[in-house]
Amino acid sequence: MDAPVYYSKTEFIETDTGNKVSRRATIAGPQNIILGGKTIISSGAIIRGDLRRTGPGHAVVISLGRYCLVGDGCIMRPPYKTYRGNFNYYPMKIGDHVHIGAGTVVEAATIGNHVVVGKNCIIGKFTIIKDCAQVADNTVIPPNTVIPALALFAGSPGRFVEDLPESTQEMVEAQTKQYYTRFQPLDR
Amino acid sequence: MWPSIQYYCPCMSATNGQTPSPPPPTLASSSASFHPLHNLYFCEECDIVRCNRCVSVEVSGYYCPNCLFEVPSASVRAEKNRCARNCFSCPICRSTLSVVASDPPDDGDGRPSVSLSNVGEAPYFLYCNHCRWDSAGVDITFEKPTGLAAQLQKFEDSAPESLEFERLKEHFEPFLRTSSLSSSSHLPAVSSHHLHTSSATAAASAALAREIPGVGKHNPLGRSRAGRDRTANKDEMPEYKSRVEAGVFSQLGGGGDDVDVELLKHMETVEEVAKLDQRWGNSWAASLRSSDLRPHRIPLHSKVSKRCPACRHILIKPEQKAQSVRYKIKLVAANYLPAITVGFPQTQATRRVTSKAPSSGADGKNGVMQSGTSNPFQLALTNPLYDPIQVRLSPQRVADARSYQVSLPTTPFSIAAFAEAWEYDDDEDMFGVEDDELGIGDVGRGTRDKEARGRLKNVGVLERRANVTTVGGEVNIKPGFRGNVKFNMLVTYTYRSDDPLPSEDGAGTPSRSTKPPEVKTFSFYTVIDLGPSVVPKDDKLDAES
Repeated sequence: MDAPVYYSKTEFIETDTGNKVSRRATIAGPQNIILGGKTIISSGAIIRGDLRRTGPGHAVVISLGRYCLVGDGCIMRPPYKTYRGNFNYYPMKIGDHVHIGAGTVVEAATIGNHVVVGKNCIIGKFTIIKDCAQVADNTVIPPNTVIPALALFAGSPGRFVEDLPESTQEMVEAQTKQYYTRFQPLDR
Repeated sequence: MWPSIQYYCPCMSATNGQTPSPPPPTLASSSASFHPLHNLYFCEECDIVRCNRCVSVEVSGYYCPNCLFEVPSASVRAEKNRCARNCFSCPICRSTLSVVASDPPDDGDGRPSVSLSNVGEAPYFLYCNHCRWDSAGVDITFEKPTGLAAQLQKFEDSAPESLEFERLKEHFEPFLRTSSLSSSSHLPAVSSHHLHTSSATAAASAALAREIPGVGKHNPLGRSRAGRDRTANKDEMPEYKSRVEAGVFSQLGGGGDDVDVELLKHMETVEEVAKLDQRWGNSWAASLRSSDLRPHRIPLHSKVSKRCPACRHILIKPEQKAQSVRYKIKLVAANYLPAITVGFPQTQATRRVTSKAPSSGADGKNGVMQSGTSNPFQLALTNPLYDPIQVRLSPQRVADARSYQVSLPTTPFSIAAFAEAWEYDDDEDMFGVEDDELGIGDVGRGTRDKEARGRLKNVGVLERRANVTTVGGEVNIKPGFRGNVKFNMLVTYTYRSDDPLPSEDGAGTPSRSTKPPEVKTFSFYTVIDLGPSVVPKDDKLDAES
């Protein structure tokens, strides 16, 4: 029923697993980034896979699950801190069915499944967002915050507003799947 | 925002056996009766929709929203409903505080020079990552970085206010116990509440009369009989002696008239005075200065199970684990009622009209309709049941005949069953596969009906795909109407019942003889808001000329 969201076919690269990545997005250190499949990276997004943990070997910096959306102009940057005198970056893990609104800066440590983050938010370092939580538009989540499951956070600093309905999981799942279906190429 | 649809929960209306009809949609107060489908529950026993307003709620577990520790309910009361571990909220901005070692974080470049919550130098203190408040400023430091809540709770418990409150509770407890015992033994349950309140009120007023001269002693039976009642009232309390005089509290907190005036005189910024919401959890006598605010232990959250208010059956029962989003029992309306989405015909329609002058319905895509036009809209109904259903839509007549008229297909139409397989079908293929189904059944009949009557061509079944049927409707807005186009719609659907019990009647009315007997109907109300209608500028001129 909802109108398709058209994108220019030349702008996006579609992978075998159905990920759609804009050529206008800045993907730094792609070898350290995992996309689960059917995930959309919109134009202008910046994903900093290059900010990896120091030390030898392969390191996953940012992993996104299935049916995720990284909105226009989002910045995804792994969190960092100095622990016992050593400065280091820490991996960022994002679950399935996670939508991140346009213009949001994410430095979270973990984002669960079925999470919706609004537009123009700032998700502070080492934030943990549990399953089915939501963050309203223009929210500033301070570093080290924990957002419990099925909670809506809003404001600056982001605070608990209300409990979300029990059917949030199904709603978000349907919504993210539908968005992927609606996201269609247009030759022009 | 628009267009939107909400479902009606009948709990706010007086029921007299009939299906209660919803309030007029244009009233602002009606919004309380309508809810998004996903916020509603469904009681199978009562065969009725329930909402958050009418379900009865019971706590099934407590947890701290910050450390996610599941607090056993036995210790919740002792810990005063707050986290007893290391979770504190900032008194200024209420965000979570971190425990930091003595070397304060160097925020010049946003990088803490000493690791947060790492082994460092004692003393430790609390630091707000959002507003940079720190507890060292209010002389709260800790020797160890663990068990901070216990250390803080010691302060809380030794505060004169909470000591006084504890003493008050102790004082009233034997009285409450005897009064509840006596009332349960020889009085009906209804009056026990009354007795309880009235004697408690009497005791409170006695205390008030003693503290504040000139306040009369409260007596529910009237002043003139006060003397006689005093002897007659066997529930009379022993007098409570406050440990501290009432006036002293304000001095304890460092507040009070003169101090406050002095503070306001020298105030430079508004932030120096604590806001009401920052002081909300404190006693009334605390100081006004925001620099005197203390960190709060974080209040616990709870997981709740929900029951039907009528039959007490459980509608929602969460899993024990605090952060699990699964439920042992989850009877939500979305699994029973067809989900309806409202939209305006877009894309092809709008693309087609772009060449022409934007007429009538073309403006619908912005959610703004013009008066004096007819605007098509679409309803997509999704069947959540594993059996096909027959749906009939009946919009309620709009009270004001000068406003707008709604046309919807009046004949019942079918929606195919929900099948798990469709979910996993890869999405795009879905469109083509179901097309051959389009020709059969009601579609043809429905459209023929419409054509025969020579009515609006937008009205009727438009599309059938998987378990979704899209029907078209049209709203005819009378010239000069301004306001939101909003109407109630009764949705009636028949479905095959799973349990063939003939004893269970209620909504079980076999609607058609051709169908098997276990066919039930269920109906519910919705409100559809198609958004505002505006009077076009040129129309206004026309009307005037």
